Amino acid sequence: MKLRILLADDHEIVRRGLCSLLQKHEGWEVCGEASDGREAIAMAQQLKPDVVIVDIGMPHLNGLETTRQLVQLDPNFKVIVLTITDSDQVIREALNAGARGFVLKSDAARDLVSAVEALQSKRMFFTPRVNDLVLAGFLEKGHSSARNEPPNFPILTAREREITQLLAEGKSSKEVAVLLNLSTKTVETHRSNIMRKLSLHSIRDLVVYAIKNNIIQIQMPDLVGSAGESTMA
Amino acid sequence: MAVRILLVDDHPVVRQGLRTLLQGCAELEVVDEASDGLEALEKVESLRPDVVVLDVTMPKMNGIEACRVIKQKSPELEVLFVTQHDSPQMMREALAAGARGYVVKSNLARDLVEAVEAVSQHREFTALTRNPRTAN
Repeated sequence: MKLRILLADDHEIVRRGLCSLLQKHEGWEVCGEASDGREAIAMAQQLKPDVVIVDIGMPHLNGLETTRQLVQLDPNFKVIVLTITDSDQVIREALNAGARGFVLKSDAARDLVSAVEALQSKRMFFTPRVNDLVLAGFLEKGHSSARNEPPNFPILTAREREITQLLAEGKSSKEVAVLLNLSTKTVETHRSNIMRKLSLHSIRDLVVYAIKNNIIQIQMPDLVGSAGESTMA
Repeated sequence: MAVRILLVDDHPVVRQGLRTLLQGCAELEVVDEASDGLEALEKVESLRPDVVVLDVTMPKMNGIEACRVIKQKSPELEVLFVTQHDSPQMMREALAAGARGYVVKSNLARDLVEAVEAVSQHREFTALTRNPRTAN
C-alpha cells in the first residue's frame, strides 16, 4: 500500500516542487494539497494521510498551530514542519506542537525525502541544529528535554491563538467571525480576553506580539542591492 | 527549435516547481539552474540560453543587479522575473533593469508558460496579481 502524504503550503510553486520531489519516490503518493492551515486540518481529517507536511508561514492558521491542532485531534498524525528558519524559538514551538520532523525549506530538496522515510520507519527527523538544541536542553536539565519547555503562549486557548493570527493579519472582528463561523460578538469577547491575558493595549501591540512569537511572518521589504536573506517563494 | 531556459532561484524546491511547470511544454527546454545572481552570470556566459527566469531576492547578487549585467553583456537574451513581490514599483525597477517580463510567484501555474513564450518572442509580459497582460 502506498504511503499517503498531505502537503500544506500557501505557495503553489513550492507545492509543485515538493510534489515533484516526493512523487519520484516509489511507493509514495501526494493524496492532497492544502494552501492554508485550516484547509490542511479539514483535508487531514477527511483523507487520513500517513504524513502531513506543513509550512510554518501559512496565512489564516500558521503551521505551528496547524500541527498543534492536528496532533490534538489525533496523536497518530505524523507532521513534518517546513520552515525558513531554525531559530531556537521556532524549534521549541515545533517540538511543543508535536512535530515529528523539522526540515528547512532551503534544504528540502535534500532532506525532505529522508524526513518522510524516517517517519515511515517510526523515527523522527530533525536538522542538526534541532538535535544540538534538544541535546543541550537535555544536558542542562538532567532528564528534561526541549519538548518539556512551556509553550510560548500557554495562556491562550487554541481558538484564541487562531483569532490572534487573524487579527494580526489585519482582519476585522467581523471578518474573523465570518471566517470562523462565529458571531461578531463572540469574536469581540475572544479579542478582549486575548488582549487582557497578554496585557496588550492595541492592535499594533498584538501585531508585534504575533511577529515576535512566530504567529505571523512578515515579508521583508525588498532587498534590492542587498545580499540579505530571502523569504521563501 | 526549443526555447532554452536558465532557471535562477536560491530555493531548490522552487526551482523544482518551476521545472515541473515548464516540462509540460515541449517547446521549452530547461538547460540548467543557478542558485544566485553570480552563478547565473557564469551560466549565461557558458550556456547562452534564450531566456533567464530570475528571482529578485537572492544571496550574493540579487536578481535586479544580475539582470542589468546580463543585459549589458547579452542584450539579445530575454529576462523574465518570477518573484513574490506583487508590487508595481518593483515591477518598474525590473523592467528598467532590462527585463522583458515580470510574474508573481502566486500566479505561476497560470502565467509561467505563457510568460516564457511571450518573452522568448521579445514581447513584454507583466502580471501582478489580477492583471496579466502582454504587449508587442
